Amino acid sequence: MLILTKRQLKFATVLLVLALLVSPAIAQDPVTVTIFVGLGTGTSPEQFEPQMALQERFNADHDDIQIEFMIVPHDTSEDQLTTMIAGGNPPDLVGPNGISTIALFLDNWADITPFIEADQFDTSDFYPTSLGLNAYPHVNTGLPLGLFPSFIFYNVDLFDAEGVEYPPADFMDASWTYDVVRERAMLLTLDADGNNAASADFDADNIVQWGYDDSWTSAREKIAPWGSPRVGSPTNEDYTVAIANNEHWVQGLQWYSDGIHVDRFIPGIDGVAAYEAAGIGTPLDGGLIAMFHSHTWYLTELGFDGIDFDVEIAPVPFNPAGTRVATMHADNFTIPDSSANKEAAWEVMKWLTSPEQIIDVCLIYGCIPSRISVADDFRAELEARFPDINYDVIFESINYLDDPNHESWTPQWGRMEDAMALAESKVITGENTDAQAVLDEANATIQALLDEYWASQ
Amino acid sequence: MIGRLLGISGWSLQKRESAAAYMYISPWIIGFFLFTLIPMAGSLYFSFTDYNIIDTPVWVGLKNYGDLIHDPSFWQSLKVTLTFAVLSLPATLVFGLFLAILLNQDIPFVKLWRTLYFLPSVLTGVAVVLLWVVIFNPQIGVINNALKLVGIKGPGWLHDPDWALVSLVIMSLWGVGQSMIIYLAGLQGVPTELYDAAKVDGANRPRRFFNITLPMMSPVIFYNLIIGLIATFQYFTQAYIASSSVGDEVGGPVRSTLFYNIYLYQSGFKFFEMGYASALAWVLFVIILVLTILVFKSSPMWVHYEGELRGRS
Repeated sequence: MLILTKRQLKFATVLLVLALLVSPAIAQDPVTVTIFVGLGTGTSPEQFEPQMALQERFNADHDDIQIEFMIVPHDTSEDQLTTMIAGGNPPDLVGPNGISTIALFLDNWADITPFIEADQFDTSDFYPTSLGLNAYPHVNTGLPLGLFPSFIFYNVDLFDAEGVEYPPADFMDASWTYDVVRERAMLLTLDADGNNAASADFDADNIVQWGYDDSWTSAREKIAPWGSPRVGSPTNEDYTVAIANNEHWVQGLQWYSDGIHVDRFIPGIDGVAAYEAAGIGTPLDGGLIAMFHSHTWYLTELGFDGIDFDVEIAPVPFNPAGTRVATMHADNFTIPDSSANKEAAWEVMKWLTSPEQIIDVCLIYGCIPSRISVADDFRAELEARFPDINYDVIFESINYLDDPNHESWTPQWGRMEDAMALAESKVITGENTDAQAVLDEANATIQALLDEYWASQ
Repeated sequence: MIGRLLGISGWSLQKRESAAAYMYISPWIIGFFLFTLIPMAGSLYFSFTDYNIIDTPVWVGLKNYGDLIHDPSFWQSLKVTLTFAVLSLPATLVFGLFLAILLNQDIPFVKLWRTLYFLPSVLTGVAVVLLWVVIFNPQIGVINNALKLVGIKGPGWLHDPDWALVSLVIMSLWGVGQSMIIYLAGLQGVPTELYDAAKVDGANRPRRFFNITLPMMSPVIFYNLIIGLIATFQYFTQAYIASSSVGDEVGGPVRSTLFYNIYLYQSGFKFFEMGYASALAWVLFVIILVLTILVFKSSPMWVHYEGELRGRS
């Protein structure tokens, strides 16, 4: 029988205690972070495989955390996420989310400020303007992942055919204003006999080509560039006073209304139906629109291979206040506040937005990486995919983004958006072409929503 | 053996048959409790709360019902739904009966015609709505192109707030085959002796229709009216798909197709006001219940059952 000395017994006891302490840590399973994809981009079949590759890469590099993409159909994603959160079974990371999606679920996201502070995480590599897009006074919803700046796409052939000067690519050219857009757009708007909208012989009932269109933007996006001090927000800074009928927004919406119903260079309901019928799904494809305001994601929407005309891009114009605002869409990942794995989710968020991964992630989701340090590398990738595009316009536009953004949160966000959409619909259909009147009405609705919200707090 | 195992071997035949009957209908009863009655009770409770789906419901009493009165979208959705009901329901009833009478005639290939007219009601859903969206397209749609041939500039249909609801009424006739087939069955049950007797008495064709066909068909019309009324107030998919296909505004343009159920859906799943949406659902339930009761109450005045003796107990 083995007899231990007192010293050996003590040593064995210490070893045993240490083993007991360490063994649970060694035996612990890695944390699985579920990434919910579906609220924004990421659900197209061609995006599945790259996301799986991303998952494999992360999992191969990490022992303590494993990720699992949960890709759900976009149409039902809001309902599914809501059900998961309500059922106490939330995902750990959600994204990529647009600003509007984040606003819709704002109360449900965790604030990442404590994580940034605890890690002393360096955010200086992100575009400074992008950091504020999803940060509110009470919550910072996530690190910026990707940006989708906006600009004017234009059909070079239509400009050439009418001998109209191209929009300038130079951001310093202050002559490029909404008045000039109107003038050139009218010259590019033609009836069936080839008369342009500036001509006395122009037949407004028989238009076959339009000069300008931004039908793929929301109500707030159409008027956010017009110089309001609160840019894309319909409320004051503390969300207590509605300002949707501010002079800048009224001016912008009236320009839009006149463009459809008076100057005729913007397609109305008949026009949209016409170019939808002529095209293969997007406004420029049909060759009936000379200038189209949209975002970088439209590069992948536009069927470059199927069109027989040249497309170029130009900055958005200066507004009457003398400023330029290029509306921005942006994506990030967010952590549900009820997630049980917030720390692990933060680690995954950092990894996805790290300089080493962000190009690949943005190539999957079609965004411009929000890190300045990878801009050149990403630009090279883009140039290989879409040659003959002026990429200076894309990257320079980031410096003119709208903040507060046109999709930013307000109290009762859904109903506020509904009120703005109604105002826009009235103008587009011609139900009421007076911008002041429709925005006064929208403003009264939004003010009532704000009052109700603050009374309930 | 099984009876002994279940301990019912001593039961009377009647008792065992009752037990068997309950056992056979138990899947439906259980389903009804789980998926209808309990959710209904839940929604009644939620209608008295402020509930955003994610957080715990907060009791607010009758506030949601009070808010409805001041909500312009509620009144607009009610107006749209009622207008649609007034236009669509009679159109469907009359057109269905008209088709059934036509297809009840002794004409060549009658079975083929019946199949052809019934076929559209079998084809329903999103695909059919999208087909109608193309048919109504102001530029390439077949309707406006046909109108163009006779020199008429067609309206904007689904794109135009003044015509969008009318478009949906026209679209609703697509499913008329369902009521047509029920009318047809009813028509074939009308005793031919009645027509023979009327002819002998010198009744002409319109008189035979109004004095024999219509009264004899009134129970079928009554049935189709009740079913149509309920379906009209629950109208959703077609308006949702059609309005979102021609623009970003669901229920548009300018809320011209904001049906009650679309607004209910928006309130619950777009604005995350599930308590308010539940209140809307219960108001809808009461509206349908009241209208159905009214139709039932009016039925003795215009519904005639064969062999019925009026005024005698």
